[in-house]
Amino acid sequence: MIRRRFTSPLVLLMSLTLAGLLIVVVLDLPPQPGLAAPVADAMDRSGVRHPVTAVLLNFRGYDTFLELAVLMLAVLSIWSLGLRDPIPARPVQGPVLHGTLRHLIPVAVVTGGYLVWVGSSDSGGAFQGGAVLGAAGVMLMLSLPREMPMPSALVQRLGLSLGAFAFLAVGTAGLLTGHGFMGYPPAWAYHLILGIELAASVSIALTLVLLFLGGRSRRVRHGR
Amino acid sequence: MPWMDVMADMALAPWLVILPLAGALLAGLWPAAARWWGLLTALLTLVMALLLALQVHAHGPMILDLGGWAPPLGITLVADGLASLMLLMTAVVGLAISLHALGYLAGEGRGHWFWILWLWLWAAMNALYLSGDVFNLYVTLELVVLASVALVALAGGAAPLVAAMRYLLVSLLGSMAYLMGVALLYGAYGVLGLQALGAQVALSAAPMLAAVLMTVGLLAKSALFPLHVWLPPAHGSAPAPVSAALSALVVKVSFYLILRLWLTVFPALPLSGLDVLMGVLAAGAVLWGGLMALRAPRLKQVVAYSTVAQVGYLFLLFPFLRAHPEGWKAVVFFAVAHGVAKAAVFLAAGTLQRAAGHDRLADLGAVMRGRLKTSFALGIAGAGLVGLPFTGGFIAKWLLVQTALEAGLWIWALVVLGGGLLAGAYVFRLLGPAFEPGPADRGRPLPAVMEWVPLALALLTIGLGFAGTPALSLLARTLAGGGG
Repeated sequence: MIRRRFTSPLVLLMSLTLAGLLIVVVLDLPPQPGLAAPVADAMDRSGVRHPVTAVLLNFRGYDTFLELAVLMLAVLSIWSLGLRDPIPARPVQGPVLHGTLRHLIPVAVVTGGYLVWVGSSDSGGAFQGGAVLGAAGVMLMLSLPREMPMPSALVQRLGLSLGAFAFLAVGTAGLLTGHGFMGYPPAWAYHLILGIELAASVSIALTLVLLFLGGRSRRVRHGR
Repeated sequence: MPWMDVMADMALAPWLVILPLAGALLAGLWPAAARWWGLLTALLTLVMALLLALQVHAHGPMILDLGGWAPPLGITLVADGLASLMLLMTAVVGLAISLHALGYLAGEGRGHWFWILWLWLWAAMNALYLSGDVFNLYVTLELVVLASVALVALAGGAAPLVAAMRYLLVSLLGSMAYLMGVALLYGAYGVLGLQALGAQVALSAAPMLAAVLMTVGLLAKSALFPLHVWLPPAHGSAPAPVSAALSALVVKVSFYLILRLWLTVFPALPLSGLDVLMGVLAAGAVLWGGLMALRAPRLKQVVAYSTVAQVGYLFLLFPFLRAHPEGWKAVVFFAVAHGVAKAAVFLAAGTLQRAAGHDRLADLGAVMRGRLKTSFALGIAGAGLVGLPFTGGFIAKWLLVQTALEAGLWIWALVVLGGGLLAGAYVFRLLGPAFEPGPADRGRPLPAVMEWVPLALALLTIGLGFAGTPALSLLARTLAGGGG
């Protein structure tokens, strides 16, 4: 505790200094249009109608691809640490919970799917849709009286890497067909982006559920 | 050569990201075959890195717009002399680590996790070297951190887990500081490309604060004294191939990023004050790391503290940047020479540790006398760390001292020479048990590859003694920024 008595004020002082510096500097920044104009100019060649989706999936698709990789690597890192604790068995719930779930889960699936699809023209996309689907998965895990039967290890790994695989495959195909690494043929851009978003939303949803569960399940191969 | 002309038009750079990424994804899908994916990836990546270095050497730096979107809209990959030299060093050391791991991990039930995480780390490092965009660099940095933290924890047990956790917290703090810098730069200039930023950055508060935040954040990741405390436990307790990857490569990654930022984004900012501060920290690192290496009781701890010391030399970069226009090249050559030598030492240490079943220096004599190939590798690579003649380390330190003297910074030349003496002392301490009289014992049986790989890498440090000129001429093809 002696150490904390000395370090806490020091940490507080440093944080306050940094915050003060940031406030002073940020208030002083000149107004900056950013990249809104170049994005607007290139929208007609992006394959989608929503600027955020165009930036995330097309102009800066490489970033999004690597972000998907970060999510996937997070799950792999946790799996490498060991097995997860099984969820303790809970008493059988009454009819209300089950009835609610029976209505909520399909709604969540439809909402998630809609969010992925609408991303090309309005707010939405793989991350939002994946988050809703993931939440549905976590809800299901929490409310079942016993452990939900997990799919086989290969299916888990396939689902986990589906988004990154699809993105990498399309990106490499772009390189081989002369549209540049992570580039799409403009005529195909819409379909390719939608395909990647669908694959990514599956992986993101699965990632969130697996992160919630913690370590790998007993079915993920332990031996070589 | 005609084939060089055909190659001139080929975009090789993306393949250095695609290959390890595909390897990592495939290894994750088929863990049973992970090591074969790893080996295949290592070989192909090395070939590609060689081709890229030749291409850059022949045709100069190349900038690739991803997806065909020119900046400021899109992200660029920059393949220049600096990037291709780092890629090549990583590929050579990476292949050695992969081969050694084949033997080191043989028979370990959880071995496939090493391969999966190691390929991710490799892909992330390659992506970082090639990225020409400050935000994209942040994403690659996160990948590097996640993969290396998981690799540290792979050894299992309390000590590695604590080390990994500490490493994770320090790295996250560094990443956050870096990201704040990115946000400030985007807020001030509205672009994210390194070249575009370099053309606009002028002396004012926002870029100064960004430069400080990004540099300090990355310093913590490179473990510059006094931000080094996380390094010795993390590097000392990891499995040997992981220690080699962390000490030889991952530490260089954040150094590379600092160098890249100061070469392209911040050359317009003044270094006065910063250069002296960094020089003092560098000297502190050389001294403290050296002294701790003289006291550590275990072989791998000595090597880990040696990394603390040698990171010090890397940050002589700042005094050199201010005083000598070509000075950074000497530091990069040092980084390459250290990478190869340190990987050889850690791999040799891993072999001895596996043979003896422990790595307490005092009790290693018999196994060191029994495993002469490995002890020999340890000796040569150790000579490379000290900077004895005929090794890459000698040329590197020669360049450092020459640069310091040309710039009139004799005090930093003294730091290099004094550090060399300390390194000499701890390397002789490493080798000492081998020269004591006593019985020779080969210890536990080991695959031959674990003896040959450290030896090959150690011999490569001698080869690097002759690589000064080609390396410097490759580095001359580096994209510098500032009004460019």
